[in-house]
Amino acid sequence: MTDIRSSVACNLDSHILRAALPLFADEKVGAIEWSFDALVNPRSMPDWFAELLRTYSGAGRLLGHGVFYSLFSGRWTGAQQQWLDQLKSLSRTYRFDHVTEHFGFMTGADFHKGAPMSIPFTESTLAIGRDRLLRLQDACHCPVGLENLAFAYTVDEVDRHGAFLNQLIEPVNGFIILDLHNLYCQSRNFGVDPDGLLSLYPLYRVREIHLSGGSWAPSAVEPGRTIRRDTHDDAVPADVFRLLKQAIDLCPNLRYVVLEQLGAGLQTDGQQSQFQQDFLWMDHIVQAANQIRNPLINHSFLPRRFHVPDPSPLEDPLLYAQQLELSDILETSVSYAQAQQRLAGSGLARSDWAVETWQPAMLETALAIAQKWKNGFD
Amino acid sequence: MKISKPLLQAMALAVAVTTVGSSCKDGLVKPKKEEAKKEQQRKLPDNCPACGMG
Repeated sequence: MTDIRSSVACNLDSHILRAALPLFADEKVGAIEWSFDALVNPRSMPDWFAELLRTYSGAGRLLGHGVFYSLFSGRWTGAQQQWLDQLKSLSRTYRFDHVTEHFGFMTGADFHKGAPMSIPFTESTLAIGRDRLLRLQDACHCPVGLENLAFAYTVDEVDRHGAFLNQLIEPVNGFIILDLHNLYCQSRNFGVDPDGLLSLYPLYRVREIHLSGGSWAPSAVEPGRTIRRDTHDDAVPADVFRLLKQAIDLCPNLRYVVLEQLGAGLQTDGQQSQFQQDFLWMDHIVQAANQIRNPLINHSFLPRRFHVPDPSPLEDPLLYAQQLELSDILETSVSYAQAQQRLAGSGLARSDWAVETWQPAMLETALAIAQKWKNGFD
Repeated sequence: MKISKPLLQAMALAVAVTTVGSSCKDGLVKPKKEEAKKEQQRKLPDNCPACGMG
């Protein structure tokens, strides 16, 4: 049976759980996606949450969604190894139907700080990404996937993102999480037709779709322009539901559609009610697609054989130095003008990063994102 | 998917007794009453928001 399952991103957050409780009670939640690395202290997990994870795990309906692996860091760190060790241990406790991560590198000084930012699409970053995905697969021994990023500095990145993701996952026979709100952000921020954007992705490699909401931020450096940001703090826009209707029939190997929202956006009864309505509308679209779905298509997204990673993780010292420099510029510049000036005099100037082509409003947005998350969630 | 009644009741009880705060950190589900005070003093929350860092 290859029905698509309507799912929720379910973490240890009272607002999310309160919003999702009626959906659980009505047996609507077909799977849960757990960000296993967002739990700083596993010992504090209450018994009932562990039981919820075990229930979905036992039914083969638990998805692992990492945030902090920092796939493209130019240097291999002890924190990344610990992250893999934790995943390996959790994979013995829970059976993940698949495990995923985000595209990008984390700007923060350590785990649980910083935000994922884009990287140049080069031979070096491709090799590092593939190396990290092999280690990820070795740790969890299940299908692994990568999520498309919402943020981009240029329209060129937007155009090439799907193809680069496809190259990255090829050695692990991996899959793509197609985050439709991220696609919507790129479409709106760069004036690109969303249908055209969809066609740039290898849709047969999509095993999971994400739905969420976000927010608009006015640009000071490009007056009159507003930037769509993937903040997960509001309802799912109608345009994103429309994208779901289009994409769902184009993804023959789709198994999960996941509604994501941060607890911060689910504090009032009205917000929680809207979340439930969004889920039910999403489920309506999913069940309609299930009626006409070919049940014979069932891609495993497992490799023919599991590769044993090289004992020495691949590194690129120049890339790492550039990432450190960029993180510092993004986290500490007091203005767009200062950031631009510092970039022009940095090791990123006239390099693969192509900082000279970055759109002013997007650099401004990168500053806002990096500075919002530089202290983690304090 | 069906989940057991006792589990649903435990979840309902847990979210009902958790203080609703104005930030993600305040909204974390407290694992046990006796640990709640200690947990409030920790610098890092036990569970960060996952995605949405855009």
